[in-house]
Amino acid sequence: MRKGQGRLLAIEAAALVLLLAAPRFFERGTLNDIWNVAFAVILASAWNLLGGLAGQVSIGYSAFIGIGAYTTALLSLAGWHPYATLPVSALLAAAFSFVVGLPTFRLRGPYFTIATIGVSEAVRVVASGVSFTGGSSGLRMPAGSFHFLRDYSAMVILAVSVVALAAWIQASRFGAALRAIRQDIDAAEALGVNSTKYKLLVHALSAAIVAVAGSLFAINFQYISPNSVFDFRLSLSIVLMPIVGGLGTVAGPVLGALLFGYLQIKLLSSPALRDSYLFLYGGMLILVMLFEPKGLLGLYHRLRGAVTRSGARTVPDAG
Amino acid sequence: MKEVVAVAVNSLLAAGLYATMSYGLAVIYGVMRIINLAHAGILMLGAYATFTLNSRFGMDPILSLAVVIPVFFGFGILLYLGLVRRLPRSSSGPSIESLLLLFGVWLVLQNLAYAIWSGDTQSILTRYTMKSVVLLGVRVGIPTVAVFAVSVLSLLVLQWILRKTYLGRAIRAVTENRDAAMISGVNADRISAVAFGIGTAFAAAAGSLLATMYAFTPDFGRSFLLKSFCIIVLAGMESVAGVAAGAFVLALLENFVGGYTSLPTSFQDALSFTLLVVGLVAFPQGIVGAFSRFSRSRRRPGRA
Repeated sequence: MRKGQGRLLAIEAAALVLLLAAPRFFERGTLNDIWNVAFAVILASAWNLLGGLAGQVSIGYSAFIGIGAYTTALLSLAGWHPYATLPVSALLAAAFSFVVGLPTFRLRGPYFTIATIGVSEAVRVVASGVSFTGGSSGLRMPAGSFHFLRDYSAMVILAVSVVALAAWIQASRFGAALRAIRQDIDAAEALGVNSTKYKLLVHALSAAIVAVAGSLFAINFQYISPNSVFDFRLSLSIVLMPIVGGLGTVAGPVLGALLFGYLQIKLLSSPALRDSYLFLYGGMLILVMLFEPKGLLGLYHRLRGAVTRSGARTVPDAG
Repeated sequence: MKEVVAVAVNSLLAAGLYATMSYGLAVIYGVMRIINLAHAGILMLGAYATFTLNSRFGMDPILSLAVVIPVFFGFGILLYLGLVRRLPRSSSGPSIESLLLLFGVWLVLQNLAYAIWSGDTQSILTRYTMKSVVLLGVRVGIPTVAVFAVSVLSLLVLQWILRKTYLGRAIRAVTENRDAAMISGVNADRISAVAFGIGTAFAAAAGSLLATMYAFTPDFGRSFLLKSFCIIVLAGMESVAGVAAGAFVLALLENFVGGYTSLPTSFQDALSFTLLVVGLVAFPQGIVGAFSRFSRSRRRPGRA
C-alpha cells in the first residue's frame, strides 16, 4: 500500500511539472485541449467519490457546475476578484448538496438515482425561469478577468490535486467506510458506520470540487448561460467518464476523462460525429454494463491476467 | 363549485393516460425488479411512430395503436432477449447496472429519433384536434376524451389478462415471488420476456396517445418518465387499480395547483418531481419499501 502510494505521488508530481511546463512547448490549441481534459478529470474524479467509491449514482451533478459558474460570474460582476469567489462557490455548493442529500440519501441505490434526475430537472427548470441567471441570453464576465495562462495553471493544479485527494481518500479510513457503504449498507451500519453522515460528507466534498471546476469554467469561457452550464452532454459525461473508465478506482475516472476529452475534441471537429454523440455515449454505456462493469480498468486487468496466465502455460515448470 | 367539478373532471381524464403510461413501468419493475429508464425513449418513439403512420398513411392516431402496440410488444421482447437478459440477475432489489444499461438504451433511442425525424418539434393534427364537448358542465377537448376512453379500455383488457389467463397469473406469480413461481413450473425467463414486451407496448401506446395532445421532440418523455415514477412510488404496484389511484392523485394535484395558483406552467412540472422526492422519502426504500410490506418475510432471508 505504502509503496503504491509513493509511486502514485511520483507520477502526480511528474504530471504536475509536465503540465505546468506545457505552455512553453505547445500552442494555444493544444493547451485548450489539455484544459478540457483537466476539467473532465476534475469532474470525473469528484463524481467518482460519491458515485463510484460510495456507490451512490447521482445524475444531478450539473447543478453544482451551475452553482460554481454563476457564483463566480455574479460576484465578479459585483467587483470581486474572480479567484476570490472560488471558496464561496465551494461553500454554496456544499450547502446545496446538504439540501439535496438530506432527503434523498434516505433512498437506496436506483431510487436515489431517480430522485437525482428529479432534482436536476427541477434545477434546470428553475434556472431558466429565474432572472439572475440572465435567462437564455446568459451572463458575461467583467472585462479584464481573463488571463489564459493563469486560468490554465489553476485548472491543471486543481486536477492533479483532486486526483491526489481521491487516492488519499481511497487509502484512508474514510474511504474504507465509503466502500463498506457501497458493498452492503446494512452491514456497514451494523459495524458502526454512520452511513448518512459519510454520504453527506462525501457528497458535500465532491459537490464543492465540481463547483470550483464550474467557477474556473466561467472564468475561462467568460460567458455562461443555463444552456452552457446545464448542457446535457456535460452532465451526461460526468456520469459516463468514471463508469467507462472504472468505477470506484483512482485511475478509472482519469482514464475515462482522457477518452471523453479526446472524444469531445473529435466531436467538435466533425459534424457527423456530433450528431451521433448520444448513440456513441449510450452504446458505450450498454457495452460496459453488458461486458465489463468495471470499465476500461477492469478490461485492462482482465487482459493482463489473460497474458500472464498464457505466459505461465508456456513455461509449465515456472515456480 | 363549478371549478371543483372542472378540476375533478380534468384530473380524471388525465389520470387514465397517466395510468397507462405508469403501468408500462410497473409491470417491468414487478416481474424483473428493473427500473426501465428507456421508458422515456419508448414513449417518444411511440409518439413518432404514430406521427409517421398519420402523416405518411393518413392513419388516425387512435387507430394507429393497432400497429404500434404489436410492433412495440415485439421490440420489447427483442430488447429483453438482446440486452436485459444478459445482465447478471440481482436477487434483492433493482441493480444499478440494469438502470444504467437502460439509460444507455434511452440515449441510443433518442439519437435514432434525431437521425430519422430531426430535432424539429412535431405535432399531430386531426379533424377533431380542436373540437370539444361539454361533460358535466365542463368543456373538454375531444382528443382528451378519446385518449381517456382508450386508456381505460386498455387497462380493463390488461386487468382481464392478469386475472383470467394463465399468462396473467404467471406474471402475478413471478411478481409476488419469483422462486416460488419457478418451483411451481412457471418459466420465469419467458414470463420476463413477455412482461418486458407488455411494458414496452404500454409505454409506446401511452406515447401515441400523448402525441395527440402535446407537441414532441426526440427529447420528449423525460417529464412523463418522472411522472410515471412518481405514480408507481405513490401507489405501489400491487394492482392496476392502485396505479390508477396513484395516477388520479398526481393528476388532481397538478390540476389543482394549475387552477388555483398562479405558478407558471414550467414550474408546474416541478410539482411531480417534488411529489416524487416526498413520496420516495415517505417510503424510505422506495417502491421496494411499499412492496415489501406485503412480502417482508420473503426478502429477509435473501439479504442475510
